Amino acid sequence: MNQALLNLHDVGHAYGLKSVLDGIDLSLEAGQVLALVGPSGCGKTTLLHLCAGLLNCQSGRLDNHFVRPAVMFQQPRLLPWKTTRDNIALGLKAAGIPRRERLANAERIGAAVGLDRLALAQFPHLLSGGMQSRAALARALVLEPDLLLMDEPFSALDIGLKAQLHRLLLDEQAARSLAVLMITHDLMEAVRLADTVLVMAAEPGRIVHRFDLNIPARQRDDALVHQTTAELLQNATVRASFGLSAAGAGDCPHRPSMLSPGMASFGAPANQAAPAQRKGFGC
Amino acid sequence: MNLLRAWLKGLPAYLWSGWGAISSLLLLMAGWESLNGLYGDLILPTPGSTFATLYQLIEAGSAWPELAVTARRALSGLALAIAAGSVLGMTAGVSMTAAMMSRPLVTVLLGTPPIAWLVLAMLWFGSSDGTPVFTVFIACFPVIFMGALQGTRTLDHQLKDMASVFRLPAHMKLFDLYLPHVFSYLFPAWITALGTSWKVVVMAELLASSDGVGAALAVSRSHLDTSTTLAWICAVVGILLAVEYLLLEPIKREVERWRQLG
Repeated sequence: MNQALLNLHDVGHAYGLKSVLDGIDLSLEAGQVLALVGPSGCGKTTLLHLCAGLLNCQSGRLDNHFVRPAVMFQQPRLLPWKTTRDNIALGLKAAGIPRRERLANAERIGAAVGLDRLALAQFPHLLSGGMQSRAALARALVLEPDLLLMDEPFSALDIGLKAQLHRLLLDEQAARSLAVLMITHDLMEAVRLADTVLVMAAEPGRIVHRFDLNIPARQRDDALVHQTTAELLQNATVRASFGLSAAGAGDCPHRPSMLSPGMASFGAPANQAAPAQRKGFGC
Repeated sequence: MNLLRAWLKGLPAYLWSGWGAISSLLLLMAGWESLNGLYGDLILPTPGSTFATLYQLIEAGSAWPELAVTARRALSGLALAIAAGSVLGMTAGVSMTAAMMSRPLVTVLLGTPPIAWLVLAMLWFGSSDGTPVFTVFIACFPVIFMGALQGTRTLDHQLKDMASVFRLPAHMKLFDLYLPHVFSYLFPAWITALGTSWKVVVMAELLASSDGVGAALAVSRSHLDTSTTLAWICAVVGILLAVEYLLLEPIKREVERWRQLG
């Protein structure tokens, strides 16, 4: 096994007297994808900001030996006075790459995330939310980082785009053994992308469950992802951390598909239950 | 260079859009003319005779030298205020402590009437150029300082975090992060200060100098020559309008293009 390049040992953080993180132990190796899932307000973003160096570590120890970290924030955070192309090239400009070269790189990665030349020439506020997210991903990937920190990166995208960017991310990740620490509250996204899923609970934020996935992310199909997500949701600790009732869906042995009753009432007019249900759909 | 080219390219379309402004100015002339009908030539001469007097002043060669002297004083005071106010305001905006400490001081400066500064300046600088230049500087400085301070303080902290994560060096933080944002606060402040500088310089010259438009106004007042007085006022206001609408406004449009496209 590789040596872990990002190590957190017993890290805690407090805003004033309110403790938001407590006893976080975590390690991340090169090329590993780690997903942190948890309810809103459990300190995920604080943890990510600690790893990104935006917050100082108050207690515990944090060692980050990655050389070129990049961050994709929850909001796109593009500079409104720069064109999308210049925004994507921002990190390259900071690294002192000559103008021609950095713009060519920005165009290449922009095309890879599905931004055409017109979109690249426009100012960010003229782009849709999804396009802004893609520009933010491109701005992070163009740096060829060895560590990518992502804070609910794909939450503004529709499922088609989400799947497209998942594939792009996994390709980049595999090609350059990129380590990814991603925050999400979408369990299925975590199961789809991550090698390890860490479940957090709130008040104070702490890691309560660890889940390793053995099949490489690029070989997982939809069925496997759905099944694994469902299994993960059966876990009592995971349910408790999200505030779901302890009685899992598993206590109902014979379970019809969620879609079938409604479909039946439309598809089979002779059904005796239909009139009552139709009232519900009448408006 | 790009800015100059864009300025020249945008000029015709921009001038064409000036017809609305010209028509409202002509309405003002019409009102002026009708007031002349009410009060007579001694109180308010017609716009026609005013501009004729102005033309005579220019023909006689006395207008441009006086205007040049006034412009030199106003612009040197303004340039000093822009330099000091923008730099100090942005510096103060970066630090919370400096911002909190400087605010009351600036309020004091804003609240002190320019005429009070003028009296002090006359005591300090006598009848030299220093008096109008200092008065203009002190009247314009707080306006620009506050603009720069507000602009720097209102920069989104999310963008600041982004800049530090992407390791932007100091000069990029200044030119790519702070200045484009601060500019939209700074530029209106500069334009306000430009107007203030012209008003204040004429006042200072009227009381403290022996040349410049202000001094010429003092002479025409003592001769009860209303049309010459109005001619000088029109000259000063005309130059102010020209500088603001022909020079500053097109520059602002070009620099803030990203905002207008929304």
